[in-house]
Amino acid sequence: MSGDLRPVSDRTADAVGIPEPAVRARTAAVPPLSDDSRLAVTIRGLVERGEMDEARERFGELVALHQRRASRIAYQYLRDAAEADEAVQDAFVKVFSHLTSYREAWPFEVWFTRILINGCLDRRKAQIRRDRWMAGAEVSSADEARVSASHPGADPEHRLLARERRARIASAIDRLDGRQRTVFMLSHYGDCTPREISAMTGLNESTVRVHLFRAVRKLRGLLEAKL
Amino acid sequence: MKALEALSRHVSEERLLDAYLAARRGERPDPPVAEHVADCSACRARYEELVQLMDLLREEGETEADAIFTPERLRQQHLQIARHIEHVGRAARIISFPEGLVRRTITASTMPSAPRWVAAAAAAGLFIGVALGASYEWGARGGHTLPGDMRMAPVATRGTSPGEVAADDAFLSELELALEHPHTRELRAFDAFTPHVREVRDSQ
Repeated sequence: MSGDLRPVSDRTADAVGIPEPAVRARTAAVPPLSDDSRLAVTIRGLVERGEMDEARERFGELVALHQRRASRIAYQYLRDAAEADEAVQDAFVKVFSHLTSYREAWPFEVWFTRILINGCLDRRKAQIRRDRWMAGAEVSSADEARVSASHPGADPEHRLLARERRARIASAIDRLDGRQRTVFMLSHYGDCTPREISAMTGLNESTVRVHLFRAVRKLRGLLEAKL
Repeated sequence: MKALEALSRHVSEERLLDAYLAARRGERPDPPVAEHVADCSACRARYEELVQLMDLLREEGETEADAIFTPERLRQQHLQIARHIEHVGRAARIISFPEGLVRRTITASTMPSAPRWVAAAAAAGLFIGVALGASYEWGARGGHTLPGDMRMAPVATRGTSPGEVAADDAFLSELELALEHPHTRELRAFDAFTPHVREVRDSQ
């Protein structure tokens, strides 16, 4: 996870003791940008000037930076490779379409992840509606084959055990309460700090900590005897 | 004495989790917690158990997702995104028809399709037809009889004869009967649940 999200004033205080109020005000006004946020600002400028071809080309760099992490989060959220793929694509397209509304007050990663998570939540709702009428969507056999093929040296018994373990973990995560699941996913698979999760979800930072703690406690209870 | 007190009070689950999250981000955990965990075997065991569970969850999740989202799949995803954003920020395109076709269509709709004499002949034919028809009507009203009584008798339309009227009535009664109670067994259940206009009408 990039960038220290603590206010600059806090970081200055850590380093040199309590600074002068004027210094705090000045440093707080210019928060340092992470590389991806800086890139997003550059692309925003290109879009605003109408240099769309250049903007598209530079946006490819942003996609490359966040694509893997976004796919992991979306897949853990939706448990369906095709859905996760679409959710990631949608999130990037939305980000590009609304890049002029991006403000440096938020790190780009936080802004992007928030858009991604909202898309995943909508898709998950749709999944639940579909599953009411159809058989529950487990991990597709094609996806499972891909995962098994990623351990070519493992013997069939080992692969079977690994598959069962994954299914138990997925089922346990699925049994978490909605907010607990979101917070756990962002913390564990998105490498987000409680402060970042707070910015993404709009929850209070201490509430994020409580949800995270409860999620871990519940997962431990569900998985303790089974792994 | 204070150190002993601190050691006797075990670290809470929340603080252990905070210590784990800090360690994962490469930060230094809260010093009192780190000290306690180092000295207290029970808390160290709890912390190690937590680390084991969290690492397993993380490893399994990442392995699974990375096996599905291979570099090739991510490349395809990247291309798809590039394709989607290709149209963002561009004004909606109006698809133009092929130039030749447009010209042909315009020519066909604006240019006269036949020589002028054809239009003049059609107008003359219409005028003659109307004039003849009018003179025939006047002749009939004037009591002139055409040879062989060529006046047009009223044409009996279909269904006006008594036999045909009876047949139509029979057909309509059959239709009403069929609508009253469906003969298809599968539809009877639906019919039973459907309010009928006649029932509503009768109840009023």
